[in-house]
Amino acid sequence: MDIYSIRTQIELEVNQLNSREALEAFRNKYLARKGIISQLTGSIPSLAVEERAAFGKEVNLLKSQILAIIAEKEKTLAAEKPSTPAPGGGIDIGMPGIAQEIGRLHPITQTIDEITSIFVQMGFSVVEGPEIETEYNNFTGLNIPLDHPSRDAFDTFYIKSPAKNRLLLRSHTSPVQIRVMKSRRPPLAIIVPGRVYRPDAVDASHLFMFHQIEGFMVDEGIRFSDLKGVLEVFAKAVFGKEIKMRFRPHFFPFTEPSAEVDISCIICQGRQLSDVLTSQGKRCSVCGGKGWLEILGSGMIHPNVFKHVGYDPTKYTGFAFGMGIERIAMLKYGISDIRLFFENDLRFLRQF
Amino acid sequence: MKITYYWLKDFVEIKISPRQLADKLTMAGIEVKGLEEKDGDFVLDIETTSNRPDLLSVYGIAREVAVITGKSFKEPKPPKIATAQNKTDFDIKINSPKDCPLYTAKIIRGVKIGPSPGWLKKRLELVGCRSINNVVDITNYILFTYGEPLHAFDFDRISSEGIFVRRARRGERLMTIDAGECLLDEDMLVIADNNRILALAGIIGGKESEVSGDTKNILLEAAIFAPVLIRRARQKLGIETNSSYRFERGIDSETVQKASACACALILELASGKMTLKKETGLLKTRPRSILTEVASAEKILGSHILPKETIKILNRLGLKTKRASKKMLRLTIPPYRNDLFTQIDIVEELARIHGYDAIPNTLPKITPQPPSLQKRDLVSLTKQTLVALGLNEVITYSLISRSLWGMFSEGQDVSVIEVENPLSSEQEILRPSLIPSLVKCVAHNYNQRQQYVYLFEIAHVFSQKEGNLREELQLAIALSGSRAIFLEDMVVKDTAGLLHLKGIIETLCARLGVERYEFVNRNHNQIIDICISGEGAGSLYQIPRRILNYFDIKNRQVIVAQLSLDRLFAGAVLTKQFFALPKFPAITRDISFILKEEIPVQELLAALKEQGGSLLAAVTITDYYRGKQIPAGYRGITVSCVYRAGERTLREEEVNPIDATLRALLEKRFQAKMR
Ligand SMILES: [Zn+2]
Repeated sequence: MDIYSIRTQIELEVNQLNSREALEAFRNKYLARKGIISQLTGSIPSLAVEERAAFGKEVNLLKSQILAIIAEKEKTLAAEKPSTPAPGGGIDIGMPGIAQEIGRLHPITQTIDEITSIFVQMGFSVVEGPEIETEYNNFTGLNIPLDHPSRDAFDTFYIKSPAKNRLLLRSHTSPVQIRVMKSRRPPLAIIVPGRVYRPDAVDASHLFMFHQIEGFMVDEGIRFSDLKGVLEVFAKAVFGKEIKMRFRPHFFPFTEPSAEVDISCIICQGRQLSDVLTSQGKRCSVCGGKGWLEILGSGMIHPNVFKHVGYDPTKYTGFAFGMGIERIAMLKYGISDIRLFFENDLRFLRQF
Repeated sequence: MKITYYWLKDFVEIKISPRQLADKLTMAGIEVKGLEEKDGDFVLDIETTSNRPDLLSVYGIAREVAVITGKSFKEPKPPKIATAQNKTDFDIKINSPKDCPLYTAKIIRGVKIGPSPGWLKKRLELVGCRSINNVVDITNYILFTYGEPLHAFDFDRISSEGIFVRRARRGERLMTIDAGECLLDEDMLVIADNNRILALAGIIGGKESEVSGDTKNILLEAAIFAPVLIRRARQKLGIETNSSYRFERGIDSETVQKASACACALILELASGKMTLKKETGLLKTRPRSILTEVASAEKILGSHILPKETIKILNRLGLKTKRASKKMLRLTIPPYRNDLFTQIDIVEELARIHGYDAIPNTLPKITPQPPSLQKRDLVSLTKQTLVALGLNEVITYSLISRSLWGMFSEGQDVSVIEVENPLSSEQEILRPSLIPSLVKCVAHNYNQRQQYVYLFEIAHVFSQKEGNLREELQLAIALSGSRAIFLEDMVVKDTAGLLHLKGIIETLCARLGVERYEFVNRNHNQIIDICISGEGAGSLYQIPRRILNYFDIKNRQVIVAQLSLDRLFAGAVLTKQFFALPKFPAITRDISFILKEEIPVQELLAALKEQGGSLLAAVTITDYYRGKQIPAGYRGITVSCVYRAGERTLREEEVNPIDATLRALLEKRFQAKMR
């Protein structure tokens, strides 16, 4: 090992000293306890006496040159940004995180859960019922005569069955009222989510299957004002404290007095109200320019319904309400086509 | 139903703008769906409810406007019409007064058919009715004004002897004005003469006796027909007209004569001619109905106080006569057009409606809380949360499916399906007995949207029948398909959904629900794994056959599905927790690595190890397995980990060694395993 070839070697290595690690390795190679310099120094005693002084000088010179190179390289490296850590050494936080991906509950399930929990917090209990129902529970018991125009709102799928009583797919969740009242006594505060079926032609706002939530309360002294109060709590919880509500008289065979409930349009807040109805132009697409959105039907349970289930209508009063879940979810999430709920496109489901 | 602002003004003074009127009507339960300015008038699109047929006319709405706005109603004077010398002898025979309680006919001779005057055309056009000729337009105009449907026949096309109001005979036919030919039966009411059928009573007239340009003499009909008959015929024939709509809901008998007289007067005015006969058949006994009601009833139901004076004022404005029956009670006499008021609650509703729903306060009722109990719904919720946490997306699909879809999946299944009697399309023919077909459809849909892996589940009712008994039960179905990338620290691995993924999901679900007694049973090697819970079949896992995947155009991929009865699953669920003390003494673990022939199932092997291991062997689990380079073909490399533990002391190596040796011997002898 001669000093000349070591110098040549160093000249080649200097250009590669682009990182702290490389510089450290360089330093170790030459200056460590068993490094090249100390090897050279250690070889001095084996030299001829006359050569020793000159060789010693050369080694010292080499050492000081190496120290100078290191000092200079340290300066340039200090001016540079810290380098990316070597693979395996650190973490590149830009790489994908490692986790089990979670799925999603269907937005209809989420909406049902949200709504039921509001009522459960008010003290209601959840009850569910079968989807195949009797004509009695779906219609007659609810004061809907079989051959009457009031039934037109409830077109119904019937099922083929050898049973004496005609069976059908419930067209609303209200039959559960009859089931619960026939098996229990007041006080009752019940909420009923579930699937319902109506033979409606399919379009962006109609389907032959959808979901409803029915709620009802029966006790002595329940009044229409209680219905208004309970529904106000519900609507503000779902749509926000700022919304306005209105109760419009309506007709349902199973409640009297009956009301349809509107909330102020969550898109336009009814701001354009004064002139929109008479102008064809810029109507709000969500409320059609009316400023109000219908969200549910409600009313005081009809005394005839109480008679059907054997409650004394002079003793008990109660209210009932029902709403379409898809409609609520469409308003809440800004979905304009009901069919999206049942296509189950993962790109849709993963948004909720 | 459309009406106009100025048309209303014929009957009531209106001092408010159309917009304000629309709001007031809406808030009184007569919903104005649309309001449009047109030709110098305002068209209100009104939705009335089925209990208020009295509102199906301008006249009826005007009466209500008067109540709401406190203005007086302008009842028009009945027109006086001179009857020309009665030369016509004409007979009206009603077969059943139940079917037709009242039939009036006027014969007008010498009419000149021609176009209607501009004002009449305009009003009809504003409410969406096409102008035809003066006589037909007048019958329509009166229908919209008074709500009484009229019909004009060409009198010269009718037998001069007279007409019958009778049931049709099965097989009789009528060519209608614009709804084609109808095949009739005995549930339908017709107007006929000796020779033929002239009109489908209350629904539509016949082509042959239609008023045309050549018509000279007409017979003007105003009648009342039984609502149920009209309804059934309308439904059977699928013909809904302005006329059937009103007859089906009920006509106020008092407007029949009024409307007929007004129409007649207008015909004489606009089409000239002379009335030569006026005939009425059927007499209506109308005794005004009365209701006894508590003065305070409204407060009890509404929760808002309405003064007795105010109560009486509202009722009087609505046309009800009030009389104190006692200190607490009122006797009310109901006007004939309010056929919806029968009981006290009907009166309460009227009070609330006119007093205003806004005037009722918002209160919160006292609710007696029910002690919470664990319900099926809570278990369903827990199941859904568990599946979602495992990466599955919940779907909701239709309960009604086509017979052909089910046909593809039903092979080898002994299930009798429930059929829908009146499906709208073949997509709604049956109630599905399984969720699997719908889930496979969902998988296919998502592949069409370029998804790479699809992990889905649904929880819904499934339906079937056995010996006439209908069954409806809650089912869970899962479908897994495709591959996903799983990121590890130094690489990404492709993970393709298989039966073991599904097994893992069900095991996790069982663990979460505290279901302990379950097993997977391989059924006769045909790729179906049964899930048994507490020894009973609860569902199965399997791969969807290739022929079905081809139908759905799913290529190069498998779809793995599971269906599980939730009643069975939940029956085995134990959610109450019991703490077991953590082990105080260390365990000794011995791994055994061996290669095993592919055809030897590990389930038996693990069971045998457990049995042989005795009480010190606490657990045996597979901790590694491998197929590949170092393993000969037809074999797999397996490592089982055996954990030994003694309850109340530290276990010694010398105790474990002999057991370990017997386990190895067992593996070699009984399962032909080769130690590695
Ligand atoms: Zn709006």
